[in-house]
Amino acid sequence: MLETVKLSKTFKEKKAVEEIELYLHAGESVGLLGPNGAGKSTTISMISSLMKPTSGDVKLDGKSIIKNPSEIRKVLGVVPQEIALYEELSAYENLKFFGKIYHVAKEVLENRIQEVLEMVGLKDRQKELVKTFSGGMKRRVNIAAALLHKPKILILDEPTVGIDPQSRNHILETVRKLNEMHGTTILYTSHYMKEVEQLCNRVYIMDHGRVVASGTKTELLSILSTEDTIQIQLSKKSDSLLNTIKAIEHVRRVDETTQGIRIISKKGSNILSDLVHAAEKEGIQIIHFQMEVPSLEDVFLHLTGKTLRD
Amino acid sequence: MNPVFMAQWMKDKRKPYLVLLFIGLSIIATLIFGNVDSMGRTTVPVFSSETGDVKVEEKWVQLLNNHDSFEFVVMDEEKAREQVKEGKSDVALRVMENDYRLVTASEMPIVHLIEQHVLQVFTEEAHLAAVAGDIDTIDLRNEVEEYMDSPPIKVQTQSLNGGDISNYDMGMQLLFAFTLFVAMFTIGFKVNGITADKVSGVWNRLILSPVSKTKMYVGHLLYSFCVGFIQISLVFLIFNYIIGYDLGNLAMILTIAAFFALSMVSVAMLITGVVKTPEQFYMVYPSIIPIIPVVSGVYMLPGTITSPILQFIGDIFPLSHGVEAMIDVALFNAGWNDILLPIAFMMLIGVLAMGIGINMVERRK
Ligand SMILES: Nc1ncnc2c1ncn2[C@@H]1O[C@H](COP(=O)(O)OP(=O)(O)O)[C@@H](O)[C@H]1O
Ligand SMILES: [Mg+2]
Repeated sequence: MLETVKLSKTFKEKKAVEEIELYLHAGESVGLLGPNGAGKSTTISMISSLMKPTSGDVKLDGKSIIKNPSEIRKVLGVVPQEIALYEELSAYENLKFFGKIYHVAKEVLENRIQEVLEMVGLKDRQKELVKTFSGGMKRRVNIAAALLHKPKILILDEPTVGIDPQSRNHILETVRKLNEMHGTTILYTSHYMKEVEQLCNRVYIMDHGRVVASGTKTELLSILSTEDTIQIQLSKKSDSLLNTIKAIEHVRRVDETTQGIRIISKKGSNILSDLVHAAEKEGIQIIHFQMEVPSLEDVFLHLTGKTLRD
Repeated sequence: MNPVFMAQWMKDKRKPYLVLLFIGLSIIATLIFGNVDSMGRTTVPVFSSETGDVKVEEKWVQLLNNHDSFEFVVMDEEKAREQVKEGKSDVALRVMENDYRLVTASEMPIVHLIEQHVLQVFTEEAHLAAVAGDIDTIDLRNEVEEYMDSPPIKVQTQSLNGGDISNYDMGMQLLFAFTLFVAMFTIGFKVNGITADKVSGVWNRLILSPVSKTKMYVGHLLYSFCVGFIQISLVFLIFNYIIGYDLGNLAMILTIAAFFALSMVSVAMLITGVVKTPEQFYMVYPSIIPIIPVVSGVYMLPGTITSPILQFIGDIFPLSHGVEAMIDVALFNAGWNDILLPIAFMMLIGVLAMGIGINMVERRK
């Protein structure tokens, strides 16, 4: 339904997006995951025709949208990263304004406003000014404003950044319903792995303007199928022990974490006895030992060498 | 109705304070600074440097006291200076045999008016003295006046429509100047709504919607125009019907106001093209705007600014043309033809500034 072909954007010298290839089938829910500055918002701006790509193309049903953006604008709903609302107006007035802007027919607009307010759970507070809302409520109105014209494709740019868990759950639930009950195709951008795992059929992982991996959750996890992740906790911190562990055969990575040390080693290589040996030599005890079931977070770490939160 | 226009109105409907405040400001400023005639005669203390040179003092006071609005009163130097220091008088006058000095601590427009009057009297006297040679100028003056009653050639000065030239009404000029000046702020702050929309992301939402770009700009700019025009009109109507100024042909005055508001919307749009955020606009705009009336000379008597460079800079902005046209209508009974040129200037400024401004805003992305 929607795809990008070698989509690239360069700001002056800075390559923000490089040859991104995405596709969305009708009815799918796809995640776009990456740390801050990965190029997610830039990609979305190009897909939604707000920004011209430096090179590459965006196609809707096989037709390029670059020259003729009106087709995609008709079927697209975009929830921007920022709160794009008039804060001095009430939630209701904002929706009425955007409804008129989106040419929602007069006869149905009133009903539609109430429908979307119901969806985001703000029906009873619609008369209040947006500026008096909490961050989470503002984000919900921000989403509602993109739903008025019943878009076939909904693109959300980090809709849950910095909000309370209750609003976050509400938003996730709303998006899930839109996808499952209304058949809306979703492109969901986030730097929270959990949300994307929960919500999306497929995931693209972006870093430094490139897609570094993509696929379903199982596919992504299979990247790690050749590795074990071991988490240990030591009685004492020691740099020399860290180096000794790094030198153990089959160990691929050693990272210090808040809980202790994380070791990634070749799958099935039993390094436990080597570990115990090394620790004993340094006079350090292993307090806690755990083989971890790999998560997408680990996939990300494996691919980029950093955690999503930095 | 254009929904962008309506949204701006909805925003302001809850908070009309800015416009109300500016209307109040225009009225108060005009009443305070423009009281040249309405507050009766202004007293100017006169003293001579050589104490007790009564003859010199009396001669000049007699000549000076032919003006409706000023009363020149002889005082001793100490008292005169004290009056100025304490603000009881805006200006005192020190006279010498053939020269004078103004003593003042104020930049009020009335000081310029007095200065002009005094200068005129002294220059006239100097001319007469030069012609008279040794003869007493008073005799010569009488002779000249007699002669002028039946001159061989009669030159008649007429206003545009043939009536007598009335006394120049500085209060009226200041009313126009202040009102248009304050409206420049209102208009600018409203046009700034475009930048605010861009930064908040509302503008992107509009771009993605079926609404055309033209409608987006028209919604914002038309709204800014309306607010500015209504503000100006309200102040003028209040002065005309309540405070008792006679603005002359109101339809013409309001037409000029409309063209002024239009071209000022464009100038604000041009400045919008230069700044990146609404906050920057709030810094840049109020530091540029107050310079305009000063270089345009609208706080001073016409003809005070003689530097061609300053005159040119003043003419770049709509203010000088607007005030000029309004004065022509209110004081000199100008007809539609007479105000066509200033209106054309304002239109030209408007078209150019709007073209450049929108271009810059669009290219920014
Ligand atoms: N208008 C712009 N001009 C210059 N650089 C930009 C602009 N927009 C984004 N960037 C840069 O491009 C990179 C990607 O930004 P962005 O797409 O916003 O990332 P994300 O949304 O994943 O956090 C960042 O390094 C950012 O600084
Ligand atoms: Mg972003």
